[in-house]
Amino acid sequence: MSKEAVIQVDSLVKKYGDLAAVNGVSFTVNRGEVFSFVGPNGAGKTTTVEMLVCLRNLTAGKASVLGYDVSTRKGQQQIRKRVGVLPQDFNTFDLLTVKENLSYYKKMYDGGMDIDELIRLVDLEDKAKTLYKNLSGGLKKRLAIAIALVNDPEVIFLDEPTTGLDPKARRDVWNLIEGLQDQQKTIFLTTHYMDEAEVLSDRVVIISYGKIIADGTPSELILKYGGKTTLIVEEGGTEAHNILRKKFPDSKLENGDVLVPINSKSDLPEAVMTLNGNKIKFAELIVRRPNLEDVFLNLTGKKIVDGELS
Amino acid sequence: MGGALRVWFRSKHTLFWTFAFPILLMLLFGAIFSVSEDPSFDLYVQNQDLISGDPSPFSATFVAMLNETGVLKLKMVDPAENTAEYIDEKGVERLLLIPEGFHQSCLTSNASIVLKMVPVEVDTASATVRGIVEQIVEIFNTVTTGESPPEVVKIESESLVSENYRFIDFFVPGLIGMTLMTTGIFGAIGWNTRNRELGILKKLATTPLSKFEWIIGVVLFELVMCAVSTVVILTVGVLVFDLRVLPNIYSIILIAAGAITFPGIGMVIARFVKETDSADAAANAVSFPMMFLSGSFFPLEMMPEFLREIAKVLPLTYLNNGLRDSMVYGNASSALYNTAILLVVGTVFIIIGSLITNWRED
Repeated sequence: MSKEAVIQVDSLVKKYGDLAAVNGVSFTVNRGEVFSFVGPNGAGKTTTVEMLVCLRNLTAGKASVLGYDVSTRKGQQQIRKRVGVLPQDFNTFDLLTVKENLSYYKKMYDGGMDIDELIRLVDLEDKAKTLYKNLSGGLKKRLAIAIALVNDPEVIFLDEPTTGLDPKARRDVWNLIEGLQDQQKTIFLTTHYMDEAEVLSDRVVIISYGKIIADGTPSELILKYGGKTTLIVEEGGTEAHNILRKKFPDSKLENGDVLVPINSKSDLPEAVMTLNGNKIKFAELIVRRPNLEDVFLNLTGKKIVDGELS
Repeated sequence: MGGALRVWFRSKHTLFWTFAFPILLMLLFGAIFSVSEDPSFDLYVQNQDLISGDPSPFSATFVAMLNETGVLKLKMVDPAENTAEYIDEKGVERLLLIPEGFHQSCLTSNASIVLKMVPVEVDTASATVRGIVEQIVEIFNTVTTGESPPEVVKIESESLVSENYRFIDFFVPGLIGMTLMTTGIFGAIGWNTRNRELGILKKLATTPLSKFEWIIGVVLFELVMCAVSTVVILTVGVLVFDLRVLPNIYSIILIAAGAITFPGIGMVIARFVKETDSADAAANAVSFPMMFLSGSFFPLEMMPEFLREIAKVLPLTYLNNGLRDSMVYGNASSALYNTAILLVVGTVFIIIGSLITNWRED
């Protein structure tokens, strides 16, 4: 992956009256990487994307995409030719087929991808003549991503591409995004799903209340902010908790499960031996490594549940 | 029941059809047919019977009697004007000609006046005007001779329409006008609001397509839809009703002008109403009054003065007048006059619609 910056954002601000939806964010996206903008609903993710794709004016700061200034008319014209966008909650013409929809949007550009090749890329060959309204939710998203690719863009903006999809459909979209990464496309992804950002991204920026609170690769962020590995004693109950907290004072009891932080290599076997030695009953032992959800929780004190802060 | 009532209450479209629409109809029809103001009917009068440059005594008396009815609004035409040319130029629908020699003819009980009117099928007011003129003639005859017969003055009628048209022939131009209006307004609103709700407009705004290109595309699409609607109306008219009026080049230009005007109005409405429900209600609120106040169904003279003034600012009035002028009366100059007004109005609305259409959301 190259280190050429294709998106550069410096102290970007977007205000609506006194409300700062985006409050001085700065970041860089390099060519060929999958860059995720993660945060709860209302954090400023979509507003940031919409400024970068020239749908909204900046209040302050600077931003450029592929070297073109998003604030100038000339820059905006050039950016629109070169990027592909999947807006949030996008639906297309429900009485056009898959192929007809792709043809429609392709006409907005000079050149672009071959429609049949695009249909193969998103694995919609057997649905090419199906009306949009008759597609399932997952297939609709695949078509929407294909529409974002009609002009063979250098940079693709995907705004919440898996929101509302079932787990299988989400996985399908993930596979599609991974396929695009293999083609050296630069992908700017916004999502409130931490697992999605962790699986797909080369770099992650976590945003909350319009400000960036963390920036790095998933493993860097987890190492720095994710906390410790945890041993979960499922259904261990009060008995297991009382025994374990003698040796592991930071253990917690949550909904009948005991959570034991593992601080060193020896902690895990010691905890298991303690349970066995005391013949403690439990359903299962799970070793949970920290993830981006833990990162967000440790940084903000809150979780993201269904897109909202909890 | 409770759930259904909540759904009903929260649907702006349904609320309009339940409350605003019947209230609107009541207000409209109540105003149109209100008796608080006496109706008055335009009647052009050309008195060619002059003595030393002044109207002859009998002709002056006759005109005074017409004036005293209070129902006829007389518009005097210069005696030197060429009557046929004047009628064509001004789009006159009713003209009473008092010919030269009227006074002398009255003395010999051999006078006549010529009442040139459009047929009743075109203009229901013509029947009323004719009835009034006949009554005045009868009174004049009685006053002149002291008894009912003999007839001093007779009425000669002339139709201002050369062909033997029927009601359907005069109705279809108004129907085409109304269809162009509803197709244009509802079509433009639908394209903008529904596609905004789906996210299509936002997606298109990220492509090289400009807002102006989008708007022109919508207008051209509505132009095609209007053409299709017009063809359907005319086809049914010809096949089922043996329709005799068909568009000529002037009416085609007029239809094109109308097809530009009403989508422009629709776009202006769509700027201010974002949801589909509200947009439909707003479109109905604009198109229904226009439909009834533009002379599509009722002659304007039947309405109070203030409604007639309102009709003058409604684009559909000019479209209806222009279509009748071109398809029925063969009055090219009047058709072109109405076309010019529509093109100006249409251009203004397209420009305003383009300027205020929210392509980027700020």
